[in-house]
Amino acid sequence: MTLSDQSNHTQTREYAVNGFDSPEPIPTIPPDQRADPAPATATPTARRTATATLREQLGSLGSRYALIGVWLVMAGFYGVIMPDKFLSVSTAQAIFGSQSALLFLAVAALCTFVVGEFDLSFASVMGLSATIVPVLTALHHVPLAASCGIALLAALGCGLINAFFIVKLGVPSLVVTLGTASLFLGLAELISSSTIVSVSNPTFSNLALRNFLGLPLSFYYGLILCAGFAYVLTWMPIGRHIVFVGANREVARLAGISVDRIRAGSYIAASLVAGMAGLLLVATVGGFDPTASSSYLLPALAAVFLGTAIVSPGQFNPMGTFLGIYFLETGILGLQLLGYTGWVQDAFYGAGLVVAVTVASVVRSRTQRA
Amino acid sequence: MSSTAARLQVRSLNKTFGSVQVLTDVELTVLAGEIHGLAGQNGSGKSTLIKILTGLYTPDPGADYQVNGQPIRLPVRWQQVRAAGISVVHQDLGLLDQLTVAENICVGGFPTSRVTGRIDRHKRDQLAARTLDRLGVELEPTRLVGTLSAPERAEIAIARAMRDHAKGAGLIILDESTRALSGNDLTRVHTMLRRITADGSAAVMISHNLTELMAVTGRMTILRDGKLAGSGLATAELSEEEIARRMLGSNLAQTVARPPIPATPKAPTITVSGLAGKRVHDVEFSLAGGEILGITGLPGNGYEEIPYLLTGAQSARSGTISTSDTTVDLTRAGVIGCLRAGVVLVPERRDRDGLAFELSMRDNISLPGLRTRGRRWYVGHKWQREDADSAVDTLGIRPRTPSTLVKQLSGGNQQKVLLAKWLTMGPTVLVLHEPTQAVDVGARLDILHALRRAAENGMAVILVSSETEDLAAACDRVLIYRASTGAVETAVRTPDGLINQIYAVEHQSAGSTS
Repeated sequence: MTLSDQSNHTQTREYAVNGFDSPEPIPTIPPDQRADPAPATATPTARRTATATLREQLGSLGSRYALIGVWLVMAGFYGVIMPDKFLSVSTAQAIFGSQSALLFLAVAALCTFVVGEFDLSFASVMGLSATIVPVLTALHHVPLAASCGIALLAALGCGLINAFFIVKLGVPSLVVTLGTASLFLGLAELISSSTIVSVSNPTFSNLALRNFLGLPLSFYYGLILCAGFAYVLTWMPIGRHIVFVGANREVARLAGISVDRIRAGSYIAASLVAGMAGLLLVATVGGFDPTASSSYLLPALAAVFLGTAIVSPGQFNPMGTFLGIYFLETGILGLQLLGYTGWVQDAFYGAGLVVAVTVASVVRSRTQRA
Repeated sequence: MSSTAARLQVRSLNKTFGSVQVLTDVELTVLAGEIHGLAGQNGSGKSTLIKILTGLYTPDPGADYQVNGQPIRLPVRWQQVRAAGISVVHQDLGLLDQLTVAENICVGGFPTSRVTGRIDRHKRDQLAARTLDRLGVELEPTRLVGTLSAPERAEIAIARAMRDHAKGAGLIILDESTRALSGNDLTRVHTMLRRITADGSAAVMISHNLTELMAVTGRMTILRDGKLAGSGLATAELSEEEIARRMLGSNLAQTVARPPIPATPKAPTITVSGLAGKRVHDVEFSLAGGEILGITGLPGNGYEEIPYLLTGAQSARSGTISTSDTTVDLTRAGVIGCLRAGVVLVPERRDRDGLAFELSMRDNISLPGLRTRGRRWYVGHKWQREDADSAVDTLGIRPRTPSTLVKQLSGGNQQKVLLAKWLTMGPTVLVLHEPTQAVDVGARLDILHALRRAAENGMAVILVSSETEDLAAACDRVLIYRASTGAVETAVRTPDGLINQIYAVEHQSAGSTS
């Protein structure tokens, strides 16, 4: 049909109605006879509240925070078999005070997971940033603040490289980030010339280690980071867009979301947060051996996956990751206090990852409500 | 082989998914040496039936399934069915272009050396050559499948299905396998099928193309809404009209009120001009706010891409859509440009394109409104809750709790959520693709009623669908797209009439077979 045919509409239609095919009478169905009648009257909200019974809510609360129960059982178990070693303030401080760099790293991993992407290079980015700072400051006498800035810029560059290959050129993320992980690690080894340098600057260290309410400041940085991330995801339009890109990319695209911009942003944000993890590491430890980077990869992934079993089950979520980190550390510290050392960390993180993913997928298949 | 037993016989076949019964007391009997047609609308249960026969789905208890008089134990195991001589040629043929004819024919049953387990290439090529020879196809087994013509590819796919059948034995199921063919190519494949069945093998042919079914099949079974609408009817005694009538049935009493046609047509406010995409061209029409315009065509002729072109989901070769405020260039507007002009899409595949299944109803419904209704730093939950509650009430979504995850809902309720997601945005133009696919009758009516309400509120609704009942019931006007003429308005207003018009074009391409 072309536009000029428009004038013929009425005629055509009358033709149709006046007996070309004699359409049947077209009764409407009264609403109350339909298969699934719409509610006739008011108070639908009230009824809805009534149906969501207390029992249901308790049940969902139970599945939502089951991991905390497991955590308590685990802590109780350690407390019973070694009351004096485990049940002490210093143990709690050891658990909650030591994991901040790892937590930042886990959040870096989370940045890509929430949009349904995958990054293996974040641990090397952390290594690169943790190498740049002491090398520049100790060997090249660059002011500490400037070398921190340079380290973050380097991390940003790493994120841009990942985003360029994965989002712009469409290369599979597994291949790209596996490659760049090794590339960034190599660069870090290059600039450190295979010697471990350290920097000692009390002001800088204090930024991370100063005690506040019994815990180092770095703990609160991690808490603020996770809480802020959680706020963005639940309460900001951009965060909701991110969640939809992660849940179904095509649905997001058809809703007018710039999917590629969000994907690229996730790689850049991941690298930046990993760079910050590197800074935290330098502040707490002083120096870093880049070849140790890869040992941070698995614990971070384990915490992220463990986090999907809690808070909002089935979804990658920052507060879950936060709890996941300290859950894993509690388990490991307990085993170490029992006298198992060295191998136990690798074994526990490895097993933890597999169990975490299994639990998360079981929880996900059982979840019926958001 | 017993000559009295049917090659394939299923009786008392029922299948329920959750609470929905998709097949009710279906039977299918295919005799040796016949080509048996299986016809039915989308969603009538054809594919479910085939999936049960091949063991993908388990039928409800009590079904009786026999091949050559031998009962098949339920649940069906594909190996057993295959060994009994049943094989399937799928719609997309399942050929790998970079492999040779012989490799494609023998995949799944390569002859191997007994000692090393290595594929015996010589035997493989012999097996392929033997199979091709038996089917009367002349093709070099070493040729690459990528270099073959369309009918040759179909022949290879059929040869693969016939590979393990002795001459005159077995049954092949052609699931829309000839869809890509027309004219002489189609005739050539039909001739081959007749040759195969003349030896005593049997075939079940599923096709949307009624002319093809009329030309090739000896008997037909017709399904409607999961029930038999004709079992083993002699094709010679049927007409296309009769088949269409049985496919559609006469359940047209339940339909949607259409307002009386106004004395003067409303001034068109939405104009689409010069629209062309990968497969369609010459799509031009206009409609007014408050009007529901239907677009349909022969399945697979390309009209299915019209909704995606109109909404920027797929970029057009050329074309614009104009509303009273603005004109959008569809070659580069993209989804964002179209959304800005108030043109929204309710896509066909709700699982893939429509909804995030792992998120809640409320999250899904509020997605399009996040940018406009939420503040930059605080999206707000009150409007989300209100939108979801009102969608639940007006569309009758069950369960009534908006925090339910979409994956927990039935198909009909998912479709309602998808519709609500875009209706709450208050678009100028609502474009829908197959909005009632695989939903039950009650949900279908709810959806069509909702469309009518939306139109009454001034929305322009474009309904692209293959469901002629929906088109006849809900639309003010219907366009039929044909490759030869573009989109043309039809005067016909009944489902039967529309079916006839849609398939009328087939007489030119497939008619040469008879």
